[in-house]
Amino acid sequence: MKTDTMQEQVDVETSPPTGLQVVWREFKKDKLAMFALFGTILGIASILFAAYFLIDEKETMTIKIIERFTEPGMNGYVLGADEAGRDILGQLVIGAKNSILIAFTITIITSIIGIFLGIVMGYYGGWIDNALMRIIDFFMTLPTLMIIIVFVSIVPEYGVWELILIISLFQWVGTARLVRSKALSEGRRDYINASKTMGTRDGVIMFKGLLPNLSSILIVEVTLSFAGNVGIETGLSFLGFGLPPSTPSLGTLVSYATNPQILSGRWWVWLPAALLILMLMLGINYVGQALRRSADAQQRLG
Amino acid sequence: MNKLLSVKQLRISFRIRDTFYAAVDNVSLSLHKNEILAIVGESGCGKSTLATSIVGLHHTNHTKVEGEILYRQQNLVQFSENQFNKLRGNTIGFIFQDPLSALNPLMRIGEQIAEGMIYHARLNKTERADRVLQLLEQVGIPDPPRVVRQFPHQLSGGMRQRVMIAIALANKPEIIIADEPTTALDVTIQAQILDLLKELQAETQTGIILITHDLGVVAEVADRVAVMYAGQVVEEAPVEILFGSPKHPYTRSLLKSIPQANEKQGKLEVIHGIVPSLMKLPREGCRFAPRIPWIDDSAHEKEPVLHEVEPGHFVRCTCWRHFDFQEEVQLT
Ligand SMILES: Nc1ncnc2c1ncn2[C@@H]1O[C@H](COP(=O)(O)OP(=O)(O)O)[C@@H](O)[C@H]1O
Ligand SMILES: [Mg+2]
Repeated sequence: MKTDTMQEQVDVETSPPTGLQVVWREFKKDKLAMFALFGTILGIASILFAAYFLIDEKETMTIKIIERFTEPGMNGYVLGADEAGRDILGQLVIGAKNSILIAFTITIITSIIGIFLGIVMGYYGGWIDNALMRIIDFFMTLPTLMIIIVFVSIVPEYGVWELILIISLFQWVGTARLVRSKALSEGRRDYINASKTMGTRDGVIMFKGLLPNLSSILIVEVTLSFAGNVGIETGLSFLGFGLPPSTPSLGTLVSYATNPQILSGRWWVWLPAALLILMLMLGINYVGQALRRSADAQQRLG
Repeated sequence: MNKLLSVKQLRISFRIRDTFYAAVDNVSLSLHKNEILAIVGESGCGKSTLATSIVGLHHTNHTKVEGEILYRQQNLVQFSENQFNKLRGNTIGFIFQDPLSALNPLMRIGEQIAEGMIYHARLNKTERADRVLQLLEQVGIPDPPRVVRQFPHQLSGGMRQRVMIAIALANKPEIIIADEPTTALDVTIQAQILDLLKELQAETQTGIILITHDLGVVAEVADRVAVMYAGQVVEEAPVEILFGSPKHPYTRSLLKSIPQANEKQGKLEVIHGIVPSLMKLPREGCRFAPRIPWIDDSAHEKEPVLHEVEPGHFVRCTCWRHFDFQEEVQLT
């Protein structure tokens, strides 16, 4: 560049795309990701809307033995009824709402813990990092599923919050590890040192200077861990260690399929829930992958 | 004499596999009011290590700092992070080598310049905004009201370095430490930035420690020069004396390796070898001896110290009295 002060100004006019623009561009390029994004958002929104405004949970969960295994389309049961005569569609909507909200809450809790610890570890390094890393390694070696199952069987009164907390207890580890490694490299950049030379305190540097620069990675991580948490909750409920039987869950509906008669003869009980789980997981994962690609694209731009 | 900062017998060591190796060894220097002190030396000589430890940017986990850095009758070596935060950005400013990586990519220029003022200046929001505009004006950035709203990637390299200088100047510091402030810039921009630094220095009477590997830069702006080799100061003198009668073989080699316009093409004398890595550094005797093997061992001191050869001119070791460039001329 052979420029003088005035010519240098020309550079000012051209501005590389910002983060959001890169993300949008990635989604526009990838029609399937776009479809997944809107499908997932629309799906989740309509499930929540239906669960709160259209379906009465008490009514849905009332046992009506005469309606036992009503077939889809009969007696006003759009998707039929289960062995206790409860509406499948209603259970599906309420169950999906429960799964989504539980997964969402777990994601919030574990993200806050994971991001906080990860940044502190990566920024300070040294003994803080070493000590926390030992704890994380310890958590990684634990058989998570077994511990949750044991916990659920020995705790007498356990409901939604207990389930959320016990899953969260194990799920922050992955986020913390990822954030740590990103913060470790980002924290060595000169702008962090430059902030220090202005007299800015560590806390401010970490959460106001460093954190926004990790945001593209964090969005990906949070999205994917949300999908993971939907899987864990429905999986546990499927095994009978998730939500109590009185609370509808997608996993409980799918678990009816363990009965061979229902599996082959009464497909409407379990198949819709299985499909819904599949679609939710695929949709969120696909969005997460597209976000990851745009995060990488951003990294290439510098 | 108006001493702003004095470094006394400073030793900075890094831990590598449980052993500490000194990257800065027994360095004593002082900075006076209203002067530009240049520190020169090839890359790896410990210049950045020295600069960053003055403002406490070193990682305490694996860095050991011994000796004294005296500033306002206080020893900065013993300062805590909180104590440093009261100085940094307030009375001591710092300018980094690469302005692109030293600016937060996601923060507006205006915010970044204001950052240091939030902690040190008693200004309200509008006063701060005014000061930011005034600083941008002062460092020669056209159209400040627009630039404050821009992000670093929207500026050119030279403009970014001007922003860095504005940040360092924000609270009217007594001392500015600039670590290779022009190395990442194009030659024409380099000259502009140096002019700006010199101009601002004359205006504000700030003491500047300018770190560089480029003797051309030194000649242009410095008042006094310290030449560093392998973690030690090997020669220190006012700039005219250093360029007029350089003594230490290392200084003379550095001067020789500057391409001269009137010299015959391709006939560039260079010193052999490179700065040894930290673990391989000779810790006894003259550290430069391995690079001038044709000089007899007896010419070197056993434990070389700085000798004052004329007022204000210090040279380490005695080998300079016996030093001559080898006949062989290297082609590069
Ligand atoms: N954090 C560190 N850990 C270990 N060695 C380091 C570290 N920082 C610098 N060094 C070593 O210290 C020596 C001096 O480095 P530096 O101060 O960056 O030199 P300069 O700025 O003069 O190029 C080099 O040998 C370098 O490899
Ligand atoms: Mg350096």
